Amino acid sequence: MHTLQFQPAAAPACVVESHAIVEVPLTEVRALRDAPSPAGAPALPPRFLRHCDEHTVVGVRAVLEAIAAMPEPTASFARYGVIGAPLQAGRIAAAQTLSQVAKSGGIAVSPHIVPQCSLHALASAVSVALGMHGPNIGTSGGPEALSEGLFAALSLVRSAGCDGLWLVFTEWDEEPILDDAGAATNDPLCRAVAVAIRPHTATDTGAVTLSLTSADTAVHRDAAARPSGSALAAFAWALGTCAAGGAIASWVHECPWGAEIRIASAAQAARSARPQAAEHMRREAA
Amino acid sequence: MVPTRASERAAVITGLGVVSPLGNSFADVAESLLAGRSGVREIAAAAGAREGRQFAAPVTAIPRPTGPGCDDFAGLGRLEQLCLAPAALAFADAAVANVVRPQRIGIVLGIGAEQLKAWELDFLAGGKRVFEPHRSETLVHTLARRLGIAGPAVAVAAACASSGYAMALGRTWLEAGQVDACLVGGCDILSPTAIAAFYNLRALSRRSDDPHKASRPFDRDRDGFVMAEGGAFFILERRSEAARRGAKVYGELAGVGVSSDAHHMVTPCSDPTEAARAISLALADAGVAPADVDYVNAHAAGTPVGDAAEAGAIRLAFGTAADTIPVSSTKSMSGHLVSGAAAFEAVACLAAMQRGAVPPTVNLDAVDPACALDHVPHVARPHRVTIAASNSFGFGGANLCLVLRKAA
Repeated sequence: MHTLQFQPAAAPACVVESHAIVEVPLTEVRALRDAPSPAGAPALPPRFLRHCDEHTVVGVRAVLEAIAAMPEPTASFARYGVIGAPLQAGRIAAAQTLSQVAKSGGIAVSPHIVPQCSLHALASAVSVALGMHGPNIGTSGGPEALSEGLFAALSLVRSAGCDGLWLVFTEWDEEPILDDAGAATNDPLCRAVAVAIRPHTATDTGAVTLSLTSADTAVHRDAAARPSGSALAAFAWALGTCAAGGAIASWVHECPWGAEIRIASAAQAARSARPQAAEHMRREAA
Repeated sequence: MVPTRASERAAVITGLGVVSPLGNSFADVAESLLAGRSGVREIAAAAGAREGRQFAAPVTAIPRPTGPGCDDFAGLGRLEQLCLAPAALAFADAAVANVVRPQRIGIVLGIGAEQLKAWELDFLAGGKRVFEPHRSETLVHTLARRLGIAGPAVAVAAACASSGYAMALGRTWLEAGQVDACLVGGCDILSPTAIAAFYNLRALSRRSDDPHKASRPFDRDRDGFVMAEGGAFFILERRSEAARRGAKVYGELAGVGVSSDAHHMVTPCSDPTEAARAISLALADAGVAPADVDYVNAHAAGTPVGDAAEAGAIRLAFGTAADTIPVSSTKSMSGHLVSGAAAFEAVACLAAMQRGAVPPTVNLDAVDPACALDHVPHVARPHRVTIAASNSFGFGGANLCLVLRKAA
């Protein structure tokens, strides 16, 4: 079990109930669309993902894998909400649509492109698929998706009036290169990370913490000056390492507005707690 | 009426900017709404997929904002202009830049299909961005950079409820102490592909013989909505800080309720249970009873299923109070601003409070029996409005209700 912590530091942590990371080549998305549910996960209605964007297909799969990985599968997510943060969702569908419109006019526009390929679609699909009646919201869509998604989730997990939130990120490992008809000429991986979080309770003993420093105390930096590479891949690696019981020295994600999100293993949390405990003991002794 | 929220920490609106088919200032929009003016008109034939005359509610002139970050406004794309103009107007109106540190100002932009629109507009101008593997900065960060906002910057999407969710998230940040001021709102733009998509979905009115009569929420003969563009932004601050600096206060964002139908990705849910729950949650959050509400600005876009379901939700949430609470849909005049709708309709609520009158539902000639409520057809109704509720619903079953309270 992992925990997420939201500033101010005194605020209780959020518990990560489960997570999953899925990476699927574009050429295999079609098969996943037809059979999205892994063993041990809820079955979706037939053809539920028929009109969905690739990000939604892979994101829903990640949620289902995270459910299948739960030690005690939750019977119902009715009181959960969901935040979806797909990076450039709908680009393939948009390219194909615009290519068709240029030839045939508006009649060629699929009625599904807005409801199924816009920023909200991933979150909505998860909400509908799992019967979630908490809020369903898309966020970001751009290069800062990890910052925006985590910040939004940590802001809402206690205030949205639900038991917990699913947080789902998706991105292409490298963006599809499209020909004039909108067909991909490469076979990139679509990566999805699904995380279920809920507010921390007194009985939770977290193994991993994720904390957020206030934007007020950090220095604002130009986003372009930050290291290149996929922040989501690093987040996935950190989550996966911690879930496997491994210790990571540190993982820090810096939001463009200066806030920092940190993940730490249980051992690290214990180490950082020790000075506080010692200080407490000194005070007690005094 | 028992306020649940400590009054010191209540989120109040200290800045407002609007760009819409009904005007580009609070005063103009209020006047248009209460006069029952329609922003619906014929649009260029190339900009849609329908046969015959094409119509929508466009923004005819985007005001050029002044101030930092707006020098090159004339050279920006139309989507950037439609977002930056109301955002900059709200920012300047509140004058927070001089009193709140940039790191303590946040921004939440509600926008549902930013990239689809950006790719399309580029394509129509001869560009190829949609085919190229580029990842560009999104609008919320562009706005933040231009306006000198250095706090949290997040874009949210909940289809037609997007800008309402932006207001809700900004209020949460204020309450959590993450920011001292937050620019919140949303906007949208008319685009040929979006019009074609909604037309092919049979969600748009096909009353092309009489466009002004096409947007007719709750009417027996409604046949879909009319697309519009524009939006609105607000500056939210904690009441205590707004009072300390003597800021002008338009009203309080007193309550928020959200829920999801979990019914279908595209078709609206005819069961009003979850929509009613969002309304009830918002009332509870604001600490008001159903009978305390003076006006309901309905989402009602003019779709057969959606309007009837909303009428049911209002009845379920308000009970017998629904018999006497005036309800109207300003989309009958403004058209449907999609991502910008919830924020624009919050402006309509503030206008009702300021002017002491409820804006009408124009074109409501014969109320659908399935939508029986205390409607305000055709002309505004003089009525003291202290507390207003505004509903917004979106694709994927996103439900949202905002409760606004008049400034003391």
